[in-house]
Amino acid sequence: MADPPTRPQIGADEWVARSAERSAAGRARTWAEQTPAPIRYGALAVVVTLIALVPVMTSDEYILRVGVVSLIYALLALGLNVSVGLAGLLDLGYVAFYGFGAYGYALLSSSKFGVHWSLWETLPLVLGTSILVGFLLALPSRRLVGDYLAIVTLFFGQIFYTIAVQGYRVPLITFHGTHDITGGPNGIADVDDFRVFGHHLTTNRAYFWFSLIAVVVVFTAIHFLNESRTGRAWRAHRDDPLATELMGMPINWLKLLAIAVGASVGALAGTINAASLHGAFPDDYSTPVLITIYAMVILGGAGSLLGVVLGALTVNILLEVLRTPDHARWILYIAIVVALLAKVRPWRKLAAVLAGTLAFGIAVHAIVAAAWPRGVHGLVSISGTDFSNGGWFGWALRHWLVLPAHTYEEGQYTWFNVALVALIGLVLVLTMVRGWVRWALLVPTLWLAALVWETRLVEEGTGPTRFLLLGAILVVLMAARPQGFLGTHRVEIV
Amino acid sequence: MAPLLELEGVSKAFGGLRVIDNLDLTVGEKEIVSLIGPNGAGKTTVFNLITGVYRVDKGEITLGGDNLVGLSPHRITRRGVARTFQTLRLFLNMSVKENVMAAAYGHTRAGVVRSILRTPGQRREEREIERLAQERLAFFGERLMGYRWNQPAYSLSYANRRRLEIARATATSPRILLLDEPAAGMNPAETAEITQLIAKLRGDGDYAILVIEHDMHVVEGISDRVVALDHGVKIAEGSFDEVATNPRVLEAYLGLRAKEST
Amino acid sequence: MGGIHVLAGFDAFTLTWHYFFSQLVAGLTLGSLYALLALGYSMVYGILKLLNFAHGEVFMIGSYIGYFVLTALGGATSPNVSIPILLLLMFGAAMVGSGLLGVAIERFAYRPLRHASRIAPLISALGVSFFLQQLATLLFGSVPKQYNTFSLHNGSLFNRITIGAFEIQYMQLFVIVAAVVLMLALTQLVARTKVGRAMRATSFDLEAASMMGIDIDRVIVFTFFVGSALAGAGGVMNGLIFQNVNPYIGFNAGLKAFTAAVIGGIGSIKGAMWGGLTIGVAQAFATGYLSSAYQDVIVFAVLVVVMLVRPTGLFGTPALQKV
Repeated sequence: MADPPTRPQIGADEWVARSAERSAAGRARTWAEQTPAPIRYGALAVVVTLIALVPVMTSDEYILRVGVVSLIYALLALGLNVSVGLAGLLDLGYVAFYGFGAYGYALLSSSKFGVHWSLWETLPLVLGTSILVGFLLALPSRRLVGDYLAIVTLFFGQIFYTIAVQGYRVPLITFHGTHDITGGPNGIADVDDFRVFGHHLTTNRAYFWFSLIAVVVVFTAIHFLNESRTGRAWRAHRDDPLATELMGMPINWLKLLAIAVGASVGALAGTINAASLHGAFPDDYSTPVLITIYAMVILGGAGSLLGVVLGALTVNILLEVLRTPDHARWILYIAIVVALLAKVRPWRKLAAVLAGTLAFGIAVHAIVAAAWPRGVHGLVSISGTDFSNGGWFGWALRHWLVLPAHTYEEGQYTWFNVALVALIGLVLVLTMVRGWVRWALLVPTLWLAALVWETRLVEEGTGPTRFLLLGAILVVLMAARPQGFLGTHRVEIV
Repeated sequence: MAPLLELEGVSKAFGGLRVIDNLDLTVGEKEIVSLIGPNGAGKTTVFNLITGVYRVDKGEITLGGDNLVGLSPHRITRRGVARTFQTLRLFLNMSVKENVMAAAYGHTRAGVVRSILRTPGQRREEREIERLAQERLAFFGERLMGYRWNQPAYSLSYANRRRLEIARATATSPRILLLDEPAAGMNPAETAEITQLIAKLRGDGDYAILVIEHDMHVVEGISDRVVALDHGVKIAEGSFDEVATNPRVLEAYLGLRAKEST
Repeated sequence: MGGIHVLAGFDAFTLTWHYFFSQLVAGLTLGSLYALLALGYSMVYGILKLLNFAHGEVFMIGSYIGYFVLTALGGATSPNVSIPILLLLMFGAAMVGSGLLGVAIERFAYRPLRHASRIAPLISALGVSFFLQQLATLLFGSVPKQYNTFSLHNGSLFNRITIGAFEIQYMQLFVIVAAVVLMLALTQLVARTKVGRAMRATSFDLEAASMMGIDIDRVIVFTFFVGSALAGAGGVMNGLIFQNVNPYIGFNAGLKAFTAAVIGGIGSIKGAMWGGLTIGVAQAFATGYLSSAYQDVIVFAVLVVVMLVRPTGLFGTPALQKV
């Protein structure tokens, strides 16, 4: 038998095995893995401290509130990451645990039933019951393959929402009329603040710090769990459930455990949300919120704890920016430029596409202005209320896009609808053609995208636009970069 | 030699197809038994029945006297049955070290709370698991050691993946190893090495070993006993020489000669 | 459907056979709709092992197409053509439009993921479903559009045939018959035609089928087209039954149809039909005898029970894992 090679040789094991170290991405990863643990944890500690100083440096209630919401979402992302990212289970009813925590806390600490327990009493009870509910949900699914679990959990989430909305007329409890348990569509109002160590947490600042502590504690706990035998078993299950079971790991129990752990974290987030909002309202725990959390986890990288926290912050900031049209409009242009920079090489091609788009728009505008003047009399809303201002950017947009009069009036959406349908058609065609045709068609597509964006989407940032974006994020990520920001590229055997 | 694994009258059918028919099979303590037969004979099905992936229709399977039929696969593994797979089933996205450490789950006890709190007991157990993994991987020499430890399993070459799978199986502290075509896809040098390794496995680990193999060099080199299967039925049993010259076995592999079939 | 009383109450009226039959018929009608939807799910799952969450939105778009055709032809109160022609055109347009939409979804969202992990297409499907729902809200508005089929031909569509205690409206009869016809056509398609054979082969083993010379891309496109066309037909039926359409009906209907496909045994055509009928009848009885508010809970309970007792569904075959 030959001796193992003394130097790396092309074709022999070691050279292949070390290829990851030689790529730029591999170097980055191994750098991160090679920095000793104390330095990595130290860097994290510094970041956390900086975040903790935010409420000290500002008293802007809006920023603090956004901070609280971001931290709550970070908690949710961490919890969902346990079942989806670590164990590979598609839990589509996760938002129900979030709602369960909120309503559980609201029932025990509000004027609804006159019960006003302190945090130390409610929290263990709510978390414990949510773990129980998680187990109960996972029980009928334990013999099921992933797809079936997805359906059952999706339905469960829907059921929770139905019960929350219909819960103001629950019969049968005393066989005498109906009872209002969940407050129905209006939810439960007048929920108590957290009472901790005798203090009432009343300000956004207080909830910010509470949430930050919660995120740090949960992050650490899940990290330790991930590094232990349970975490290894979960990750083995994500790779190959059958082999996992045959190597002595009880996958039914592990699945229950993953869902239950996720459930408890979700419930914790729910209690914080209910307390900081002073209310529990069913629409905060509905399917759009579920999609939001999924977008956060997938964008950040399912399986990476730090990644999903980053994903939560990114998505939440994005959604916040979408609220004001003047800030929101930049999102599209930045996204286009970034995407082009990433995908279009060489530089000449990139420049050609950008120049072509500008020229195309100017040309179309000129033609329409000559043939049908009213077609370009529409205005770009820049400052929010005064449609005639907008500075140089407004002027540029007005002369690049074709904005008919009355563009922003409610109900006058025909132009927008036509452009939208044309855009969708063009995008679909783009996926089917290759070569120079693709680049040529990209020009009108980009122009139409800007048109559609400016004529309506920008204005509906809290409505359909945000949800369109979330759905698009999921689809595009799965096709282009399934590992998100910090996830690892995975090899799957299908 | 005391029997360790015993199959008695085991039968399995999928719909109308009888895959295993009334099979008796024994593997004694520290014995190496080879299971041979043409493709489709049912050899991997036997493994699946022993490990609980399929449920037997009739018959008994016992390990050291304890019944295995009806137990869930992970319990069977904990009782002492470990296997490898014909088509590799590694945890590809986990590191080499973690693949082996994961398999030590069945004999460890740290629960969720202790893992989160990192109690001294849990940390001691983790060090134990790591030491066990190192030991199991060291069995294969330098190939799976050193920098390979932290590499993801998908970066390994084919032969190394097969070795890793064996190492992972041994980490479950089994009493019997079921190896499904351990030499498949290996070149002659690797095949020779695997043959030596299997003998060494039995010696070092006191395992009984049941091997499915097609390469007769390997079978000849390792077996105490050979069992031949065809269409789910045992057609021969004995030493390698006895089975290799058995006319029914030859017929199963090579078919009848033209003039003998009339 | 949401009543002021939570419980329908068990009074002299509800305990009659008449009431029982009317609920049964309502359930069968609804069940026919769910069966058509479930068929699309089952077919796609059989071939790609993918749960197409976006299927519900295809159903919703089909319903809107039916509405637009109806409006274009004069609307329910004064149609320009006779009722049979009107229905034919509505169904035809909806089926073709939905079929094309399904093909586009497959091309755009699922085909790039054909060799990715099991979870990736599911998440993509979720994203597509949500995206389409919001797109519909943008294009059509969230205010429901009225089919108003009650006014068709002075309400003749809602005249009843009465046999003793048993009563059925023309519209319900039409829906049930139309669904049966479509399902029979599908069964024949799968059992007798060349493309049907290709579909069956592909659902058994995709790789082997491709190696046997079957163009699996075309088979997949065809499957999506047929399944989505059935959903489109279901969408028009939904408009006829409930008389309106809004962008959010897809999610709920999709969920129920899912459940139906799973209960019947996913991948099985027969299972989808029986599963759909079961869910429809269960929902109707829950609404009629308990409360419309909790109809979803009842359906969910049925799902859980079936999953506990027979995880592969009524007619499904236990999936054998090749180890």
